[in-house]
Amino acid sequence: MSDLPTHIEEAIQLKLPPDLMHDMRTPLGHILGYSELLIEQMRDQGHEEFIPYLEKICKAGHQLLETMTDNFE
Amino acid sequence: MRRILLVEDNEMNRDMLSRRLQRRGYEVIMATDGQQGVTMAQSRSPDVVLMDMSLPVMDGWEATRTLKSSPDTKDIPVIALTAHAMSTDREKAMEAGCDDYDTKPIELTRLIGKIESLIARFSNDIVQTEATT
Repeated sequence: MSDLPTHIEEAIQLKLPPDLMHDMRTPLGHILGYSELLIEQMRDQGHEEFIPYLEKICKAGHQLLETMTDNFE
Repeated sequence: MRRILLVEDNEMNRDMLSRRLQRRGYEVIMATDGQQGVTMAQSRSPDVVLMDMSLPVMDGWEATRTLKSSPDTKDIPVIALTAHAMSTDREKAMEAGCDDYDTKPIELTRLIGKIESLIARFSNDIVQTEATT
């Protein structure tokens, strides 16, 4: 049994409509794809100082995707 | 150089994925709807097609059925790409004739693995077919 209040448990178990999930996945894909592309380009061009920030964007995007997948699909 | 036909109506998806694939050494040609995708597959003979399924003019399911029903294009592997992650979407894509399926957001290493695996499989199939005829 979870220690979370019932209304929180219910909210977590909520399934979002497939079209809404699609509409959320598309811009999230842009964020992840372009940040990964920029990491590769920065590495190629020797701009190592920008890479940690871009990796933080990537990591946050993957966390959001995991949250969506685990809880709302 | 392997040639990939990317059929995708979303401009940012097209731009982002084509740049990433080109960096990995692929030639990428692009179509923005299913009808254009079919025409380009016929005229440019790509090694693989990456097919978004929700497309204007002719959707990805119909475009795939058209490619797989033609002797000229039936041996071009088609990978369905969709931002829908439900198992029914995968089944629907495979029923239309897609050879594999991947979900957006694209994980590039995984997608390239599928591209190379399908190209190798189809090359072997063609060699075996020619050997038995």
